[in-house]
Amino acid sequence: MPADRSAAELESFLAERADHLLRTAALLAGSREAGEDLLQTAIERLLPRWRRFDGDPEGYLRRTLCNLAIDGSRRAGRWRLREGLLRTGLRPVPDAAGEVELRDALVRLLWKLPPRQRAVLVLRYWEQLTDAEAAEVLGCAEGTVKSAGSRGLARMRELADDWNDTAAAGGGWGTQL
Amino acid sequence: MNTDVEDMLRQGMLRYAADLHAPAGMVREAQRRRGRRLALRLVTAGAALAACAAAVVAVVFAGLPGAHQNSSGPTPSVDTAYVTKRVASALSGAGLAEIAQMTVTSSGPVGTRTAKEWSYGDQWRSVVYSSPGQPVFEEGGASSTYTVVNYSARTWGRQRGVVGQTEPPSQQTGCVRAAAALSLLLRPGIGLSAGSPSASVVQLLRTAISCGTLAEAGQQRVDGIEATKLTSSSGSLISETIWVNPTTYLPVRVVIRAAAGSSVIQQAADITWLKPTARDQAALTVSIPAGFRQVPFGPTVMPISP
Repeated sequence: MPADRSAAELESFLAERADHLLRTAALLAGSREAGEDLLQTAIERLLPRWRRFDGDPEGYLRRTLCNLAIDGSRRAGRWRLREGLLRTGLRPVPDAAGEVELRDALVRLLWKLPPRQRAVLVLRYWEQLTDAEAAEVLGCAEGTVKSAGSRGLARMRELADDWNDTAAAGGGWGTQL
Repeated sequence: MNTDVEDMLRQGMLRYAADLHAPAGMVREAQRRRGRRLALRLVTAGAALAACAAAVVAVVFAGLPGAHQNSSGPTPSVDTAYVTKRVASALSGAGLAEIAQMTVTSSGPVGTRTAKEWSYGDQWRSVVYSSPGQPVFEEGGASSTYTVVNYSARTWGRQRGVVGQTEPPSQQTGCVRAAAALSLLLRPGIGLSAGSPSASVVQLLRTAISCGTLAEAGQQRVDGIEATKLTSSSGSLISETIWVNPTTYLPVRVVIRAAAGSSVIQQAADITWLKPTARDQAALTVSIPAGFRQVPFGPTVMPISP
């Protein structure tokens, strides 16, 4: 560990890991643009600490992304709005692409979940962290992660079941999710 | 269905993320944004300082032979110049002769926080307390070591080989940074540690004093002594006041007040200058409470809330 890390080292680290971090950020934030903004803010927070930072920068940035996403959504109250959309936005429409569309729909559904549930699912299924690791990233108890994850998945299952029923009747969901 | 949904969610994430690539230059952009935010802060501070500097210029101009003396203007700068020179000189001598012990209180809309800080040469230590008076985190070190104790997590970490001779702000960029130096000084647990590990209390005070933006404003009783008061111009958004001991000319109290809308944020430091006896030097050492777990130095132990 060098005593004094340079900005060039941060650039070199990001050259390797920024794509992955951006993907995490976009999944947390709900769009590429919001993800870029989130990652940019996280890097800005790391910057003043970078010179003598001796931890895992990816872990730090991941944790910051999650906290920013949760706090940002909470402040804006956006998830409530999204939850409202979620309840009214499901419209069965004819869909030949079946399963692929369901996968895409599940990601869109992910963005409509409350922020903590969303963060847990991103950490579990995108970052492939264990409940304990996700709890450490989010700074909460493992039980909180488990319950948020199971509530988020339950909502997904509920909608996937609807999807299957609708698909069996010859339709799928629209893209309004 | 359970596994199906989990698998499909994972696959959906992969499909969605596959085409996403981070733009180049994110570090530069972060530096630019950070610079812009710091500049914004300095503009606010600068407004107060510019007004103060203008007052000083006016005083100096009024003192020139033949210049018109405005009887309603501020007090001639002779006292100010004399006091600030003496204070700067006292601070120069204090570097290794005195331990600066400060109790810093920050109050604002979100509540009050207190910290105790010690600074001596390149050694420093800071303990931040919660409002009920319990330590929240403690950190400190010297030029080559940095130790941090996180009381909430009952962990501690140590980093060796930390070097980074940071100049105090105004030495590089002029007096507009006087408020920034004071602000850095008064930020409990953040200023000395994360900002400038080697910019000691003495250096920061000297920076603020030497800029010539503070004017002598009479005597005021502080901790039982008739301290000499140096203050920025009244009516500024940010006001800085330093009280100095009239005998030693060392600062004994520093207060910054900033008005933000209807809120007022105030940071105050009471400073005691201690002789570097073995007992007082012990206060510069970070103590690790029994039962605390050592963890690798990094975000989990650093007193930050990303």
